Amino acid sequence: MDADELLTLVARGDRAAFEALYALVSGPVYGLALRVVRDPAQAEEVAQEALLELWSSAARFDPARGSALAWTLTLAHRRAVDRVRSARAAGERDRREARRSHHPAFDQVVEEVEAGLERDEVRRCLDRLTALQRQSVTLAYYDGYTYREVAERLSVPLGTVKTRMRDGLDRLRACLVGAV
Amino acid sequence: MRLPRRPPRPGDDLHSLAAPYALDALDHAERDRYEHHLAACAECAAEVRTLAEDTVRLARSTAVPAPAALRARVLAAVRTAPQEPAAPREPASSREPAARRRARRLPRTGAARARRDRFRPSGPWLLLVPFATTTAAAALVVAALFAAEAHRTREELDAARDRAREIAHVLAAPDARAAGGADETGGVLGVVASASEGRAVVTLGGYGRPPGDRVHQLWLVRPGAPPHSLGLFDGDAPLLASGLEPGPASLAVTVEPGGGSSRPTGTPLVQVALESVGFGG
Repeated sequence: MDADELLTLVARGDRAAFEALYALVSGPVYGLALRVVRDPAQAEEVAQEALLELWSSAARFDPARGSALAWTLTLAHRRAVDRVRSARAAGERDRREARRSHHPAFDQVVEEVEAGLERDEVRRCLDRLTALQRQSVTLAYYDGYTYREVAERLSVPLGTVKTRMRDGLDRLRACLVGAV
Repeated sequence: MRLPRRPPRPGDDLHSLAAPYALDALDHAERDRYEHHLAACAECAAEVRTLAEDTVRLARSTAVPAPAALRARVLAAVRTAPQEPAAPREPASSREPAARRRARRLPRTGAARARRDRFRPSGPWLLLVPFATTTAAAALVVAALFAAEAHRTREELDAARDRAREIAHVLAAPDARAAGGADETGGVLGVVASASEGRAVVTLGGYGRPPGDRVHQLWLVRPGAPPHSLGLFDGDAPLLASGLEPGPASLAVTVEPGGGSSRPTGTPLVQVALESVGFGG
């Protein structure tokens, strides 16, 4: 059964379906949370919240609006992003980042564990984007910056950032699907 | 594979937000505005759908195995956490039986349970799981106790659902901590508490039902103050204790006559210091 079918069963309170769905999505959910919040304990909290929301809000899933995986990862990503944004607002993340620069071990571990075909493909295709496209996409998606913040950080106009995000995603898709 | 793009029109700034929206790069206010727009723009919805699948690829490439403790915690919580109704516009009467069927399906059948993780319950109590300063074990205990309550009336079910929600809230509190107290006979008092919420989820196991109409009563015991009743245990169901304050205090259980007592008449069977769940000083 695929994630879409499982999520439909979960919406009816099927716990066995939830377990099966958990097996499919927990890796991407946790990995994404870890990538964005960059702290294993917080990533676990974010993943837990998102996965419980997946259970409690399953009835809100509408297959017409996208895949179950996309919906699930959106739940997780929004929570992760909310968390880094409020941490950033409180100045915590900068301190944590400063601390981490003395302890590079964590990033190394992540790099090693993350090794995988799909990651390699995405990385290869990200490398094919222009620097501005790539930074616009990754600063937003992996680092949780708003497009306004991305524009500020990259010192480019807002319109440019929006366009680069769009071009970046288009090119990424072309590369991954069309194997350019 | 390029998406057809609408030619830009003056003043249609919102259309250009599809990619930032798919990347979650909008602030809350802008996201709300865009979603409002999305509801009325089929073209944009299709666009966002495609872009969202692109972000799925970005997300999947970060996948790492999730910690085993997360699985245990999430699956345990799911056993008590309520779900939003499947169809909000459905009349309540047609929703109720489904919910009740669901409740009655618990506990799982032997086969289904055997497939579960290594924290398999041995009877109604999960004494295999040591209490630790993580909420995972306690959540499992609470979940197992809930699963034991199968046949309930609609009112009871509603009450149980409310209680499950409250309990889930305490379990999910960022400062939730778990502790357990045991006596020599194997009876256990399990506590998951959040000091910031001043609440605790308390479970009692291994004692069976007291003889006759006698009951297990939970007390808050503070130095220099008379014990204060926190409620009566009803079988295996967890008790939610509220209004707990920081400071030296402990939770204790006694056997009392039916209906409970205003002051404990028996000696405590088992006790847990609240300090062990973050209520220090």
